[in-house]
Amino acid sequence: MSRANAHVPPATRRAQTRLGIALILPLMVMTVVFFLFPLVNAIYYAFVDFNGINLSPPFIGLRNFTELAHDPAVWPALKNNVIWIVIGTAAPLVIGFALALLMWKVKRGSLAYRVAFFLPYILPQVAIGVVWGWIYDPTRGWLNQVLEAVGLDRFAGGWLGDADTALYAVLGTAVWATTGFIFLILLSALRNVDAELVDASRIDGANSLQRVWYIVLPQIMPVFLMVTTITLVGGFSVFDIIFVMTGGGPAGATEVLGTYAYSSAFQLNRISYGTTLALVITVLAIPFTVALNRLQRRLSLQGTGA
Amino acid sequence: MNRRSILGLISAAAAVSLTACTGGTPGGSTAPTNDAEANSIRYLVEQPEDPEDLEALRTHLKTYEQANPGTTVKLEAMPSENMRTVLQTQLRSGEGPDVFSWGSGPGYAGALAEAGLIFDLTAAYEQYQWPVYDFAKQRVTFDNKIVGIPGEMETIGLYYNKDMFAEAGVEQPKTLAELTAAAQKFKDAKKTPIAAADQEGWPGGHMLSMALGSRIGSQGVDALINGQGSWNSPDVIAAVQQWQDWNDAGLLGKSPTSQTTDGAAALFYSGDAAVLPTGSWAIPAIDKNAKFEVGYMPFPAESGAGVFTGGLGSGPFVSASSKKTDAAVKFLNFLVSPEHGRWTVEEQGTIPAYPVDTEGIKVSPLFAQVLKDTSTFSEGTGDVAPNIDVLQTDRFNDVMWDGMQGVLSGQQSPQEVAEALDKVAKK
Repeated sequence: MSRANAHVPPATRRAQTRLGIALILPLMVMTVVFFLFPLVNAIYYAFVDFNGINLSPPFIGLRNFTELAHDPAVWPALKNNVIWIVIGTAAPLVIGFALALLMWKVKRGSLAYRVAFFLPYILPQVAIGVVWGWIYDPTRGWLNQVLEAVGLDRFAGGWLGDADTALYAVLGTAVWATTGFIFLILLSALRNVDAELVDASRIDGANSLQRVWYIVLPQIMPVFLMVTTITLVGGFSVFDIIFVMTGGGPAGATEVLGTYAYSSAFQLNRISYGTTLALVITVLAIPFTVALNRLQRRLSLQGTGA
Repeated sequence: MNRRSILGLISAAAAVSLTACTGGTPGGSTAPTNDAEANSIRYLVEQPEDPEDLEALRTHLKTYEQANPGTTVKLEAMPSENMRTVLQTQLRSGEGPDVFSWGSGPGYAGALAEAGLIFDLTAAYEQYQWPVYDFAKQRVTFDNKIVGIPGEMETIGLYYNKDMFAEAGVEQPKTLAELTAAAQKFKDAKKTPIAAADQEGWPGGHMLSMALGSRIGSQGVDALINGQGSWNSPDVIAAVQQWQDWNDAGLLGKSPTSQTTDGAAALFYSGDAAVLPTGSWAIPAIDKNAKFEVGYMPFPAESGAGVFTGGLGSGPFVSASSKKTDAAVKFLNFLVSPEHGRWTVEEQGTIPAYPVDTEGIKVSPLFAQVLKDTSTFSEGTGDVAPNIDVLQTDRFNDVMWDGMQGVLSGQQSPQEVAEALDKVAKK
């Protein structure tokens, strides 16, 4: 008990406690209803065989998990998730950061640029998927038409229907949609970077890359880690853009755990198996999320960052 | 681990697990509170090829509302490629439409019936004596319960641009070899020979149905569906192989697995593609959009003209979670009426699975041909091979659709597809 609290009368402390509980109660209720209950529910369904009809599904222990471990469709889906997480996190971070650096000192037309880059992020994923589906159309899509117009027709192909390109084509769309968000957040963080340090390093002979790496990036690292966490966790649970653009096809070439969980649960009526897959996504995402959060907190406590 | 870490972990877990599929059970909607609400039903249909058809249906439904004062039908439409997943999700949540249009057969209505998502209409059939053809009624009967009005009668085959064929000096192909030769000729002329589309997956089932049906006839396909033969057979492999060969030869256009059904149809309408493989449901759109003469033929066999693939399309069903089943069944009675049947033939270009007086109805030559073709299978006089996907389970269809996509995208061989089909059929 702190010295200050020792002098607070008990009646006041009780009133403070009641106020504190009243203030956190709404959040606790929301946490229980929207976070804990679905989580416990999901864990329950993973241990029973629920097909959507039987309200008293039989308990099957770990059978869903053993099936998952031997399911030949799971590992390719997991591999696609890994590709998505690596490229889908790194690409928007690099591009978004580069754009933010380019726009850092720009005054004229700054608002227009920010709106233009951020716009894709606020568009519905379904709309983005449909529009990019047209762009990738093998015959009339403008991507192939542009390639053919500039003499690169050997690269024109069926972007979403070719097993070698489909995942990367959808990833390209996702990167386009996400980059604006990262750009805007990092641009805001750059506003707080100490310009004197940058100038001093320039006088000391640091080149552009060195200034970014040793002076700018450390100062915005907590924010950088925050957007990394958001993008990375999104990579684990990615679903909508793939579902809209390819449905996981062709023949599973763009299947990720999220789309596989969905098709298992809602197309094949295997609710429990789909839930087990979703739980796996959760378990895989937790260590990365926690590690990045801890790193971000440590850097913030050290006083590093914007 | 400290409290903040635990909270962070729980939050992170819950945030991701919110994507978890915890399902739901029917019955989530609340009971209507007054007559107006009780007689207001939601009717979900698949988005027609032509948006004007939806408006025509909306106008037509007003005649029902006027004949039944106080009744309203809220018409909703959804792209057919989204229906399979979205409809199931809606029905499971108890927030689905009261009446919805959906495919007949085990792979469609059967899957929903198995999941307990469709209202049992057996009593309604007895009460209203709906004159649905017996063969069609069987397609919506599961566990001795009749769960819907079977969908319109359809055929699946090959549409071809007669003008393009004439300009190229090509007759209507009468065998598989003739079709391949004609397709090669169009490819040489820098046209898309056969506008195949399989991005959505389900058209692959139609491709296999057509090729297999013309190869082994309706009895052969029926035998496979009824478990009296092996899917891992030379005929099934050859049927899949045919599509692979055409794809390898570049006769199916650029990457059929990238092509949507709408995109393929657009190629055909614009005169850039010579042949469009699809079903009779496309006739209204073809009549409207194709500015040239169109022919419609079955998928050819090796030694002859082949047979059409036929089946039942989408028909109305009532949601098991609907709280307005009385109003919904009454609405279904309208959808099985002679007046509505005649209207669908005349205005929508669809053929209901019950007798309709077509005397004096003016239809396009294409549709007249389909009316004639479907009359043979409603009367049981013609050989029309069944459309596999409406008679198979979801799991079988999943394997079939993936398999055809796999073949057309070079990921699987016809042998692998046949093996996978056989394996899932035996489960």
